[in-house]
Amino acid sequence: MTPAARARLNRFLAANAIFVVLLVVYLVGVAVSEAFTTPHYLFNVIRQVAPVGIAAVGVTYVMILGGVDLSVGAVISLTAVVCAVQMDGDAANTLPAIAITCAAGLAVGTVNGVLIAYSRVSPFILTLGMAVAVYGLTQIYSGGTARGEVAPGFREVANTRLGGLVPVLAIAFAVLALVGYLVQRTTVFGRQLFLIGSNRETAILAGLPVRRVTIAAYALAGLFGALGGIALLARSGVSSTSAGQGLEFQVLAAVVLGGTTFEGGRGGIAGTVAGVLVLVLAFNLVNIVGLVYHMQLVVMGAIIILASALYGHLQARTGNA
Amino acid sequence: MAPGVTSPAIDLSRTGIWLLLGAAVLLAAAGLPEFREAGNLANVVRQSSALGLLAIGQTFVILAGLIDLSVGMAAGLVVVLACALMGGDAAATLPVALAMLALGAGIGAVNGTLANTLRVHPLILTFGMLFVLQGAIFTYTDRSVGRASEPLQTLANGDIAGIPISGLVLVAAAVAAHLVITRTRFGHHLVAVGGHAESARRSGIPVARIRFLAFVISGVFAAAGGLVLAGRLGTGYPLAGSGLELDAIVAVVLGGTALSGGRGSVVRSVAGVLVLAVASNVLNLLEVSAFVQIFVKGVIVIAAILANQPRRAGG
Repeated sequence: MTPAARARLNRFLAANAIFVVLLVVYLVGVAVSEAFTTPHYLFNVIRQVAPVGIAAVGVTYVMILGGVDLSVGAVISLTAVVCAVQMDGDAANTLPAIAITCAAGLAVGTVNGVLIAYSRVSPFILTLGMAVAVYGLTQIYSGGTARGEVAPGFREVANTRLGGLVPVLAIAFAVLALVGYLVQRTTVFGRQLFLIGSNRETAILAGLPVRRVTIAAYALAGLFGALGGIALLARSGVSSTSAGQGLEFQVLAAVVLGGTTFEGGRGGIAGTVAGVLVLVLAFNLVNIVGLVYHMQLVVMGAIIILASALYGHLQARTGNA
Repeated sequence: MAPGVTSPAIDLSRTGIWLLLGAAVLLAAAGLPEFREAGNLANVVRQSSALGLLAIGQTFVILAGLIDLSVGMAAGLVVVLACALMGGDAAATLPVALAMLALGAGIGAVNGTLANTLRVHPLILTFGMLFVLQGAIFTYTDRSVGRASEPLQTLANGDIAGIPISGLVLVAAAVAAHLVITRTRFGHHLVAVGGHAESARRSGIPVARIRFLAFVISGVFAAAGGLVLAGRLGTGYPLAGSGLELDAIVAVVLGGTALSGGRGSVVRSVAGVLVLAVASNVLNLLEVSAFVQIFVKGVIVIAAILANQPRRAGG
């Protein structure tokens, strides 16, 4: 193979590795259990992972930018409670409650964005701190107990299977992922994310609105976090003050798996969606082969390290060619 | 775009933490008679000791331009294993304690080896390790197990002439660490690697070995913190270490150590831990709800990070 061809192959692998991994994990699943061949089970898996998947779309934006958002789990918790409280068990409140919930997510995201755009702090640590603050807010708001009541029919509709097969929640995930993908691929904002993420200095010198794009990306991460919170509430139907705890790590694992690195400037939502599916299939496999639930954490930790290492390796090789 | 931040007349990254600690203690002592009681002050020190040890270890890795997010779970694993292995047996204290310190060193060695061989940012690497360790803890047990031996409990909770033993341990550890960083060849190399790894490499400093040792030291201090924590709790509580990594990093950052590496001090990190402990103690004495305390802690983290920004413009 000529060096140029090898570089092309490496670039192709770096860009598409996750889809190969998804296929492999799926085939392993098929080999282990017949469940993996039934659409009913697969769509249920997608329904299951919808909250994480929706939140991951927003986090992908900030990570393309070279940032990160670890407050998204806390945002999911906060917004799930806010949504339940605003619904207050009345169907008429459904839409206003969703609007208020989205506004809450946007607000947290915007605060993250402003603090990060106007300073040089590490987004990793800053959003970790924001996660603690938002978790505290959730506890204060709810008084520490599960408050609020989901509007009647809300959970039922979300979990209905259209055509007896595809849950509404799975469709919601697909639609939001598609919207997120189109924003990333077709808008100026999407293009600017990559430009700023691959070289911030150059982007500033080129006159790109770095601060505005940064704030918008974090605000969107907050908004998608809120949508994830609503999806979580729709999935379970019960309000809980710590429902989203730890989900930020699943989100992060999925995004990194999908090829959007911590360095920024590469990856995208298509990879993230594949990463989300790999993660949930892997978790289901861990269950099916009878490993204890907590081994999921070990699997997730290993995935974060190995996926990052793999991409770092591929990137270095394409960079050298 | 961003105008350069003008440097203040006094170097706040060095003196800020002492001003903050002084102000916090004076305000608390002036406003709250309960705070001044000897028993309460001893409690503040006892509460600081485990986190203080973690913060000292964290300062080593941050000085080297790295970070270690696995320390909380490493300490948590030590809490569970130490109590399970001791089972309250005093004779087992020393062998188990040594084994736990070796375990900490082993975790650090794994972190260090992977950091040197894989192309993964230490933040991500140790973040992944956090989950591996958490999974290990919960796979082992999801409820409290075992019992810390009497000597270990005395170490964590006992006093000598009214001074908490764990506080003396912390002071001794801080002094030793400070001397290692400021007076030894290794310490100078550590700071050089954190300041500019490439320059350090070209000066012939074994960068990979220094980074490896920094992680090992962090792991040993995490295990030491876990032992003190085990003594305090008396039993192997699996969630004991959750979130300690963030507290340790916040303490280090409060102490003015640059997250970019190459600049900082373990003594100031311990002062950072004391500030956190005083704040938490005051909120408790004021009977502020636990929920508000969580929120306040988050705000402190954000404020500390914002106050300790990299000085160089750009980026």
